[in-house]
Amino acid sequence: MTARRTAARDRWVTLGVFMALAAAWQALSLVFTAEAQPGEPMVPGWQVLFSRTLLSMSDYFQGGFGIRPISEGGVRSYPAAVLSLLGNSADTLLRLAVGWLAGALAGTLLGLAVSWSAWSRRLVELPAQFLRTLPLLAMVPLFQLWFGSYFIGKVAFVAYGVGVLFFAGVVNAVGNVPQIHIDNARTLGAGQWRLYGSVVLPAILPELRATMLLSLGAAWAAVLGAEYLGAQSGLGYIIVFAQQFAFLDRMFLVALLIVVYTSLSFWAFDRLSAWATRWAPAAG
Amino acid sequence: MIALDHVSRRFRRADGQIVQALDDVSVTIAPGEFVCLVGPSGCGKSTLLQLVAGLLEPSGGSVNVAGQVVRGPAPERGMVFQRDSVFPWLRVIDNVQYGPRCRGMKRAARLALAQQYLERVGLAHVARAWPRELSGGMLKRVAVAMVFANGAEVLLLDEPFGALDYVTRHQLHDVLLDLWEESRARTGRRTVLFVTHDVDECLVLADRILVFRAGRLVDDFPVAAPRPRTADSLLLADMVAHRHRLLAHLGLERAAPRAIAGAAAQ
Repeated sequence: MTARRTAARDRWVTLGVFMALAAAWQALSLVFTAEAQPGEPMVPGWQVLFSRTLLSMSDYFQGGFGIRPISEGGVRSYPAAVLSLLGNSADTLLRLAVGWLAGALAGTLLGLAVSWSAWSRRLVELPAQFLRTLPLLAMVPLFQLWFGSYFIGKVAFVAYGVGVLFFAGVVNAVGNVPQIHIDNARTLGAGQWRLYGSVVLPAILPELRATMLLSLGAAWAAVLGAEYLGAQSGLGYIIVFAQQFAFLDRMFLVALLIVVYTSLSFWAFDRLSAWATRWAPAAG
Repeated sequence: MIALDHVSRRFRRADGQIVQALDDVSVTIAPGEFVCLVGPSGCGKSTLLQLVAGLLEPSGGSVNVAGQVVRGPAPERGMVFQRDSVFPWLRVIDNVQYGPRCRGMKRAARLALAQQYLERVGLAHVARAWPRELSGGMLKRVAVAMVFANGAEVLLLDEPFGALDYVTRHQLHDVLLDLWEESRARTGRRTVLFVTHDVDECLVLADRILVFRAGRLVDDFPVAAPRPRTADSLLLADMVAHRHRLLAHLGLERAAPRAIAGAAAQ
């Protein structure tokens, strides 16, 4: 069978699995009709999720585009609900992106510093290894007390979670850079800065692909974790708010949305890093 | 001029044992000379090359190139390695212009230079390819072009063609000699140190052969046969004698190697 036909078949199988899962959920909602509280089914069917649940997202709308939020006497509406989901998603994604970038940058620089010189290694290695062993989620309350509900707190938390992964990944990958490439660059006249920019960084990239995907997962966990505790907006905030009132359907809708975002972000990362390492021979 | 003055180099192996890789080696090499370093594996010839490159420091003695003590690598001393050294993340032409780029040459000039050397080694048609798309012989051509494009006055080649097939190896000998003679005619000098353990390879290439054994320089003799040399050059009486001398050093001659080594030392 040709590769193209195999790919086409794979797509149909994927679609089929999705449909089957959706149908199974719907069937479960019809069979298992227990409610968390009156009017709140434990397993909300699709007809609930895409009508009442979606509409209820208006509750988290903070105003704009000429539509009044609920807190200022507005009424629930689909435009308000969609704008609310977009706005809260944007808040979460911005925290995620800024935090991931800051963490990746800091982790990479600190990781490179370990091999840069004897002095930079002495300065960086021990404190970084110490920070690395602190459990991320146990740090949530600490970050909340330090930074309150400010943007910087959530960004710092994500950056911390991503940074420690990058640090470990970079230190490990730098140790695996073939000496022959370093020797070659030095005999061709490369100085220390050029050596790091043109040899060490590209050489560690293939090995860092795994770290990047791993850190993206950690970043999602960290941003939602930070929003559980100290946010006034964002997808994590909606879930916590809904949990307090046992709005299972809202939690489920937002969780679905998060699955869509994480899948998209993993896919985009995979494509981007595959392009950046297109020079590398295929593994295996 | 390359001058090694009582150079020695020791290594500490992982098991803690000290290995004397080079033991009190003194030798002077004139500018423009093509010198082959021969000897069995582990005799110290690659160590000597790394000392001249500045990738290693001597444990004793000094290494001078052009009147300067060698302290670390420099673009004046280019090196072609035994294993593949071409950067896999750069396209072929970007590999060749890497050295000129380090020296701060302008983009247009270094691209023209890289293109020129790729043509000289017969790889102009793969300038935009990734190294992984090239064969082992082509990668060696790229490595040679990288070093020549960088204009090094001293070329250090560490068993560069050892892993190649017979035909490719001979093609690369021609490429190397062609570039060497052209640049020697232009600049009046371009010294080559070529490490090998292939007897015929060093007879075809060398002006002078240094033989090492167990870290010591045990023989040093010129090869006067006229260039260009062909397979027939190896049949000259002088060359046959050289060949026997080298085989004896490598322990491959039936005659007692000790007798010949003793005669050379006198």
